[in-house]
Formats: sequence, structure tokens, C-alpha cells
Amino acid sequence: MSEHKTYTRFDTAQRIEHAVLIASFTLLAITGLVQKYNSAGISEGIIALFGGIQGTRIIHRIAAAVFLLQSIYHVVVVGYKLYVLRMRPSMLPGIKDAKDAIQSLTYNLGITKVPPKMPRYNFAEKMEYWAMVWGLVLMGLTGLMLWNPIMTANLLPGQFIPAAKIAHGLEAVLAVLAIIIWHFYNVHLKTFNKSMFTGRITHHEMVEDHAAELEEIQAGRAAPVAIAKTDLDKRRRIYIPIAAVVALALTGVTIWLLTTEQTAIETIVPPESDVPVFVPVTETPALPRGTAEATETGDTQADSEAAPGGATTWDGGIATLFTDRCGSCHGASAMGGLAVDTYANLLKGGASGPSVIPGDAAASTVVTKMEATHPGMFSEDELQIVVEWINAGAPEN
Amino acid sequence: MMRKSQTPTRLFGVALLAVALVLVGLALSISQPASVQAAEGVPAPVSQGGEVTNEVCLACHQRPDQAIEMANGDSLDISVDPEAYQTSVHGAQGMSCTQCHTNITGYPHPAIEAQSRREYSLQFQQTCKNCHQDQFEANQDSMHADLLAQGNLNAPTCASCHDPHIQGKITGDDGQLLTEAKVWVAETCAACHNAIFQEYEESVHGAGIIEGQSATDSPTCTSCHGVHSIPDPNTAEFRINSPKICADCHTDETIMAKYGLSTNVLDTYVADFHGTTVTLFQKQHPDQETNAPVCFDCHGVHNIIAVDDPQKGIAVKENMLAACQRCHPGANINFPDSWLSHYIPSPDRYPLVYWVQMFYTILIPLVIGAMVLFVLSDIYRIIRMRGKKNTPPPTENTTGTA
Repeated sequence: MSEHKTYTRFDTAQRIEHAVLIASFTLLAITGLVQKYNSAGISEGIIALFGGIQGTRIIHRIAAAVFLLQSIYHVVVVGYKLYVLRMRPSMLPGIKDAKDAIQSLTYNLGITKVPPKMPRYNFAEKMEYWAMVWGLVLMGLTGLMLWNPIMTANLLPGQFIPAAKIAHGLEAVLAVLAIIIWHFYNVHLKTFNKSMFTGRITHHEMVEDHAAELEEIQAGRAAPVAIAKTDLDKRRRIYIPIAAVVALALTGVTIWLLTTEQTAIETIVPPESDVPVFVPVTETPALPRGTAEATETGDTQADSEAAPGGATTWDGGIATLFTDRCGSCHGASAMGGLAVDTYANLLKGGASGPSVIPGDAAASTVVTKMEATHPGMFSEDELQIVVEWINAGAPEN
Repeated sequence: MMRKSQTPTRLFGVALLAVALVLVGLALSISQPASVQAAEGVPAPVSQGGEVTNEVCLACHQRPDQAIEMANGDSLDISVDPEAYQTSVHGAQGMSCTQCHTNITGYPHPAIEAQSRREYSLQFQQTCKNCHQDQFEANQDSMHADLLAQGNLNAPTCASCHDPHIQGKITGDDGQLLTEAKVWVAETCAACHNAIFQEYEESVHGAGIIEGQSATDSPTCTSCHGVHSIPDPNTAEFRINSPKICADCHTDETIMAKYGLSTNVLDTYVADFHGTTVTLFQKQHPDQETNAPVCFDCHGVHNIIAVDDPQKGIAVKENMLAACQRCHPGANINFPDSWLSHYIPSPDRYPLVYWVQMFYTILIPLVIGAMVLFVLSDIYRIIRMRGKKNTPPPTENTTGTA
């Protein structure tokens, strides 16, 4: 037996299946973990690479669909091999595997002198395969719950959804760590086992990892059991229709679960508030200027000042009226030359001539000005008093 | 008069406002407003000595209830209350009438060309800019300025909110809005946004300010919408950034402790699917349209009420469900439990989530630890073997002899 001899381990279909698994698992792991650890800088970078969180989630879902459909294919193929071809269920774990695991450990530590002789699939591989199956079921179920939250809550308490999210995320962490530590070490680091790419395994690898299988091959016991063609055809006729129906049903259910509910990812434009934005308090929105009460008080004050009761002479009240109403401009500053601060100045007048002609109110400028517009105006009552005073000869006192 | 038709509460509020303005104005009449920038070429105050003093103008304009009828029928109030003016920020600074009314140098005044009251006030925008450039420019970025530019004459300009003849001081020496001014701000916005104000005054925030039990902390309109550069709140960007606005106060231990509110509301939101989405959009695509809920989708926009309100609070599952169903139609009464309501799962609250997490917290180190130990043992074997390279592997021997 040559050291350079190689043995067939995986056929082409198995190798393609594995390649598809690598692609979907890797995509799922990357697009999933960056969502779980989204605040990390590297996650943000990766999310941006996938076109943002929306793109990341869509790619995650596409990879998940591939993963689920592939698992249906796997079940059908395994069923065919077991039922139709009557191959040995070499992936089933047994007591021997537990013994092998312990013996490997003690051998590694130097306690046992001989390593275990392991079958076609050794304990490390079985562990990985069944971890994968467990992971697939758990990730599939929790993933579909997150994808279909309305349906989930219609069937289960709402709490299952956040619980599914936690399980989905942490199971992913477990799976990725297991792949990195267990799978990468055993088939890439310890020795680079190329059988999954080339289909063939070296003699040395057989000795190390599958000594029991090697013995069987060498003893000629590993050759496939010869099956009569009639038996084969009979089993095929039974298996293929059943498998087709089951596969189609599983695929149909999967596709339905992946497409029936999209509210977890679709974007609908959020409704705007139903409260109208522009609702003015008054027709022409204006700020309150003081209060109504204050205004009324003001009016009262103005009236009482404007009509000094019984004012019939300059000194008896007319002077106050002129000072209040005209004094700001025609006081000390004597705008237009007119000052009303004294009786003499009033009679003297300004640029427009004498402002008061005693006895003739109609000809007096202070009265005529009030008939046009003037910055300061007497009220009607006040004007009446002034007119009466002038017509009475405009007495000083 | 329009004002007399208002409710007594509002009248009382307005009266309070006026009194408060006067008091604040008096108290601060000696301090220089920090945010006013005197521009070049603005005439100095001429309240004394010049020909057209404020007294000259007030001689006529102090008479109350004077108004001019504009071409379109609007009534333009031309009365100025001297006392109110004197206590306003402008009066207290000794600003003279003609510093703003620059076109008036005597009597008769130049004819008013503006056709409406609105047009008249628009003509004064540039006037405010002379001294308030920063605020003017901030306002230029606002949606109010955008609307105005689009020809919406209802959009406010400076004087719509700040009556220059009575505007009192509303910020303290630290530049922060005075606590008592929060109500004035809300009432000012209410002039145009009254329906929103009515929702706001019923909310925890609005009632807290108006009734005073949380006046120092609760937000007024400008706390969330900004002061002059008020952005359009209906954009995707405003929506996506909005959790930050709420978080500003709701993650502040000191403020929240006063009201017995939790500060982990943001963290728990961000940890959830919705919060994660919004946070990532906010970081990477801030103009992304999304219906992933932000704080106000569940808690309300202006009508935010306590979650434990027996009628409308979202602690009532039916109320929460209504919010969920806006985006998840067909969701049933179990659905709201899928959101952890800002709680961190514990054996008492959301126990399933807690125990699943606990399960993995134990499982992961166990499984991975076992794998690591096994791998280490294998590495140890390889190193040990390398030491005795010449010894043939025992397997070969056993294969030969078995």
C-alpha cells in the first residue's frame, strides 16, 4: 500500500453542494453578524458595502432562501442514498464516536499510546454535521419567525419574536465560532484536507482520520453492496414520486413563508399627522398687543384727560389741553415755528401764521388743521371745547 | 374686537404674558442683549437731542386704537403703548422710532405703498437684519422662509413672532430661554399653529410647562423644532434624526431622575430591530425614507402623554397595537409583546427572552471552550510528535499487527 495512494471521498454533487453551502453560510454570517453588532465600526463599513442596512437585509434573506432550499435538496439526496441505494448511514453517531473522542483526547495528552481507529465520518465530522443540522433547524425556524412576525404573533405569544431574535443572533455566534475553531482547525490548519475540493483524500489523511474505513477498504468490505437492478428500479419507482411530492411541498411552503409577509422589511411612507398645521387663532395671525382690559383702561384715561370739565379759559384748562395734544411737537421744540407753551406763543402762531384768531374759530389754523389730517388731533369733544373757547374770544383767564 | 371673543383662560394667559414681559423688561433693561450685533451704518439712538425724538412720534402714536385702513381692507394698528415700548428690549436700549422707521423724517409721512398689512411687515425684514444678522440668516434656512419664498404670505417673518414695540427679553444672561418664556414661545407659535398647540397643551410636556410642574425641563416648541432655523419636520431626514431630539433629555440622568423616568430608553430602542434600522439610516443614509418607527410614532408627536395613562397610554396593549398595525396590518393582540417596551428582559419581565439569552450565555462558552481545549490538546500532540520525529507513528504499527 503506497503512501501516495489517494482514495475517493466526495463525488462532484457533494462538492458542489459544499461550495453552495460555503457561499450561503458565509453571506448569512457576514450580513447577519453586522446586524447583530451594528454599532461596531467594521460592521458599519460592511453594511455600507452591501448598500446600507436595507441591502444587507435583502442579501441576508436571499442567502437564507438558498440555504433553506439546499437543505431540502440534501434531505432528498440522503433519503435516496439510504433507501434506494441502501448505503450505510455513516453519519449516524454512536457509542463508538464518544469512545473515539475520549481516546483522541487522551492520546493527544499522551495518556493513551494509540489513537482511535475512526470510521468514514469520525466523531469530529459527525459533531460538525449534526451541529449544522441543529443550527439549520434553529436558524430556519427563528429566522422565519422574524421574517413573519405577524404570523408568529398570531400563533404564539409576542415574546417569542424577541426571543427568536436573541436565539438567532447567539446561535449564529456559536455556529461561526465553531466553524472557525473546529472546522478550520481540523481540515485547514492541522493538515489542509483538500478532499472537499478535489474529491480525493490522501493515504496519510486516511490513516490519521479514518483508519477504520481504510481497513475496510483494504479488506474489500467497503465496496458498495451489489443490488439487483430489479430491486433498484422498484425502490426508485417508490422513492422518486414520494420524494418529488415532499420536495415540492417543502419548497412550496418555504417559498410561501419567504414571500407571504414583508412588513418586516418593506417601507411604506409613514402617514403624516392628521392635525392641520396652519390653524391661525385670528384671521390675520397677529401677536396679542397687550390685553383688552389694558386698552379699555387707556381709553378711559385718555377721555378724562381730553375733556377737562368746564374749561373755558386758557388758564382754566385750555392750556392743559394744548400741552397734552400738541406739546410734543409744538412745545419747546416748536415744530414749524409754532409753540403752544404760552398763551402769547399760541396767538403769535408759526410758519402758517397765527394759529388762533380770537372770536373766529373757523378762520383759526388750529381748527382748520383738524379738518385735514394732522399728526396730532383733538378728539371731537376736545375740538368742540376749543372752538367754543375761540368763538368766545379765546379768553386767557 | 377679535380678542374679546377669546376664552377667559387665553385672556388670562395673555395678560400674564404682558405682565411678565413688562417685569422681565424692567429687570433686564440695564443689561445689553448678548445676541444683538450692531451693524455698520445703523443710526445711533437719538432719543434725546435730535429733531424727531420718540416723544414726537408718541405724541400721536400713543393714542390707543388708531389704525389705518390698507388698500386690501386690512387694518394696520399704528398705536404704540409708550410704557410697553419703554420696557421692551428695544425701548430699554433707548432705540428711537426712526432707527427702524427710517423713511419717516417728519409729517406728513410718506404714503404707505404696501397693499396689505402682511406686505407692510414684510418690508421690515431687512430692518431687523441690521442688528439681528445671525437670527435673520438662521431664519433664511427655515421652512418658514422657504414657504415665504414660495409665495405663502401666511409664513411668518421676524415681526410675526417678535412685536418690536413690546418684545421683552426672553433669554437669561446665559443665553438660555427663560423658564417663564417657554409658555410665551408656545403661545406665539399658537398664533398660526393653534390646532397643534391645543394638542400640545394637553400633552405631558405642554401641561408640564403651562401648569408649571415640569416647566424647567419640559420642552417648548423651539426645544425640538429649533429657534429661527426651523426645518421642515415632514422630511425623511427630520424623522430619522428625531430620536436624538428626544434622547437629549431622556438620556439625561439628572432630568429623568426628577420624574422617575428610565434613561435606557435610547439604548433599548437602538438594540431593537426598528431602532437599529433608524440608527443605521441616520448614520449612512440620513435622507432615507423609512417607516421604521421613531419615538413619536408610538408616543405621539405633540400629544405625547404618559405611557401609563389609563385611557390613551401605550402601556395599554390595545393602544400600542394600534400603533403597530399602522405598519403591520393584521397583527393581533399578541403582537405588541414582540417589542420589549424599553425593558431589559429579566426573569419577571419577558422571561422567555431572558432564559433564551441565559441558555446561550452558558452554552456558547461551554461548547467553544471544549472545542478550544480539544484543539489545544491536538496542537500539544503535534508538538510532542515533532520532538520524536524518528519514532514511526504508532498507528502504522497497530495497522500492521492488528
